[in-house]
Amino acid sequence: MIIRQEVDGIPALIAPTNGPMHAGLAFRVGFADEPLARRGITHLIEHLALYSFGVADYHYNGATGVEHTYFHMQGAEADIVAFLNGVCSGLRDLPMHRLPVEKEILRTEESSRGESPAERLALWRHGARDHGMPGYPEWGLHGLTPDDLRSWVARYFNRGNAVLWIAGPGVPAGLRLDLPDGTRQVVPAPSSTLPVRPAYFTGDSNVVAWDAVVKRGAAAAVFADVLKRMMFRSLRQEGGLSYNVLTDYTPRADGRAVIMAVADALPEKQDAVLGGFVDVLAAARLGMIDESEVTAVVNQRRDEMRHADAAGGRLPGQAFNLLDGRPLQSLEEALAELDAVTRGDVAAIAADACADGLLMTPGDNEADWAGFAEAPSESENLVDGIVYRSIGDSAPRLTAGEKGLSMTRMNSAVTVLFDECAAVLAWPDGGRIFIGNDAVQVRVEPALYPDGHAVVVALDARVRPELRVTMPPRDPERIPRPPASTTDTGSGSALSRVFRRIRGR
Amino acid sequence: MIGSTDVVLDRAAAYPEIAGLRAALRRRDWPACRALIDRLEPSARSAALLECGDEQDAEPFLRGVLNADPADPAATALLGHHLIKLGWRIRTGYAAEHVSRGQAQQFRDRLRRAELLLIDGAARHPGDPAIWTARLLTARGLELGLAETRRRLDRALAAQPNHLPAQLQFLQSACPKWGGTWDLVHGFARDAAAAAPPGSPHGLLVVHAHIEHIFGDDGTDVFRYLSNDAIRAEIYEAAHRSVWHPEFRRDHGWLQALNAFALIFTMLDDRRSAATVFTALGDLADEYPWNQVGADVPVQVLQARAWAYEGES
Repeated sequence: MIIRQEVDGIPALIAPTNGPMHAGLAFRVGFADEPLARRGITHLIEHLALYSFGVADYHYNGATGVEHTYFHMQGAEADIVAFLNGVCSGLRDLPMHRLPVEKEILRTEESSRGESPAERLALWRHGARDHGMPGYPEWGLHGLTPDDLRSWVARYFNRGNAVLWIAGPGVPAGLRLDLPDGTRQVVPAPSSTLPVRPAYFTGDSNVVAWDAVVKRGAAAAVFADVLKRMMFRSLRQEGGLSYNVLTDYTPRADGRAVIMAVADALPEKQDAVLGGFVDVLAAARLGMIDESEVTAVVNQRRDEMRHADAAGGRLPGQAFNLLDGRPLQSLEEALAELDAVTRGDVAAIAADACADGLLMTPGDNEADWAGFAEAPSESENLVDGIVYRSIGDSAPRLTAGEKGLSMTRMNSAVTVLFDECAAVLAWPDGGRIFIGNDAVQVRVEPALYPDGHAVVVALDARVRPELRVTMPPRDPERIPRPPASTTDTGSGSALSRVFRRIRGR
Repeated sequence: MIGSTDVVLDRAAAYPEIAGLRAALRRRDWPACRALIDRLEPSARSAALLECGDEQDAEPFLRGVLNADPADPAATALLGHHLIKLGWRIRTGYAAEHVSRGQAQQFRDRLRRAELLLIDGAARHPGDPAIWTARLLTARGLELGLAETRRRLDRALAAQPNHLPAQLQFLQSACPKWGGTWDLVHGFARDAAAAAPPGSPHGLLVVHAHIEHIFGDDGTDVFRYLSNDAIRAEIYEAAHRSVWHPEFRRDHGWLQALNAFALIFTMLDDRRSAATVFTALGDLADEYPWNQVGADVPVQVLQARAWAYEGES
């Protein structure tokens, strides 16, 4: 039974727990809110707000997600009070002297983390904005100032945009959530860069990954688990092709949910893992789903839900619902929804999911043969403008126009329009990467073009200053230079990379 | 029989079900087709569906059958083979590097359509070896990779152990021209032949492997290759386990087995052995592998047969 209250003007959800007391403060802000040029700002604020707790031996943490950010603590009542009060005062008065060090910590965390298939799928599905943001590095860290952080906090980390949850007997004495006033911020609508679905892109890695956006609800959650069982049986038990298979169900604020699946592959088995996965999806799409499988998953989820509820584990999800303006769901309602799921419901979700699917193939395998359209990685249109040829044909042809810029070589072209530009990475040596909202990138290396630096100055003037990300100096060795002579240079790998959609890192 | 000047290359002459299925297809009588297909043993069924894929203009008819029952496994496999054959006809006779861009695209398009159909067929009927056999052909044409090809073979073999139509397709895919290696080809053929019950036609896999190696690799010195004692011993052992075994029956694959041994014994300069298999074949022969020796298959067969029988007169 969840009780609704209010603490210092902040809605609070309170439920008993059979375990240690825990509580959390959630905000309706996440990666999806960040412009590309500010990417990382929420995570940085989360770190700064927690700084004052240092290495204290507490069970506390903060987490920045796509649509929500929260601070959470488990422990004695007094510790929870100290923690939540401290988070609020930390947010009110961020320890700005820590800025350089926390930025460094985040950069280290990022470089050691690697890139997950979910992030790459997000980027290819949504582009360089809103729900595609998880696929991008925290480029904003380089240039964020204390004022940037203060205005972000004012907009998102305020009383009107927060929900408190407490798993315990009630609101502890002494809790004082001193946050500034503000208003609820709605989640940006997810963009799409996929004109045709199902679609695929080559992932150049040792996993096959797939995601789909479907109607949120118990049937979709059950399907995610059923899919995992199908993958386990087919890819691991029967074929011995994969070792790890996993699926994930992530509800979204807009009433949809993302179902994701990943299977790893030995390098020599990549094509077979792809083939096996295509067959698993086909079986799902055609409703080849066992009644007993659905029953088993429903039973398992019912147990998990009961256990979670007893420990107060359903509270964060309900807090997010409240933040998103969605109805709260009691345990009884959630169980009733789960128990009502039929094999037919799961099959219907499976069919919807397959129609919406985005597939990341392992290695350089294609998937057109399996009915997946190639996700766009180039631009259909070129801008009109002045054409610049590189010195010694060392780089693609650059066209700089009123509306944007294009790079062309042979039959492929990439274009970024100034009005559709998500960010410009700017190196002190003049190197630029223009990133369009559709995630297409145009890289300009001024040293490779006659008057290249003048062209870059002109291009810079066209882009709104807030889109600019000032990057640290590059190792001189890594700055492309024109060939020493006019002898053939071909298209070195560094330059041909310009032509790939250098998505993500 | 001796001295016959006929060479019958029609597989229907060896396998009456093929004649029956062709006739029923020509009448566009699907219930009759199904009645015939359904009583076949799985490898004969897979082979008949593959064989009859070349029935002219069968696509609208088979699409109609599948519209009425999208799950019909036999119609799925048959239409799959039909589209695959349409595709191959577009690029027949050209090595990959000589196929024009347009031809390559049309070829790929036909095979893709076949594959899309077969993906659904395999999802609905994961235990149907005819569908997996057809998917071995699409895997090869679409160049989906050796591991995926192997997975499809494994699925066919899980449906029926020693499923010869699938094994014959895999052997082709395992050749270097399709990305495999000779070691893979020979190892696979040896293992598959050894795993099959004595008297089954699977010894022909060993012969096909050697014939592919001889004709498919410009570097092979035929004389030296066939003088190799180990290779000769392997071929004779395969013959003893298959066409010369007392349990050898006229079950699916018998024609291809005798036919392959007829060619290899001829190449081994072994008249007596060649005569034994030619006698068993009578007028019958099969295009492959004689078409590896020369384009005019009947002439090749007649010459070899005449030479074999000379030793007996």
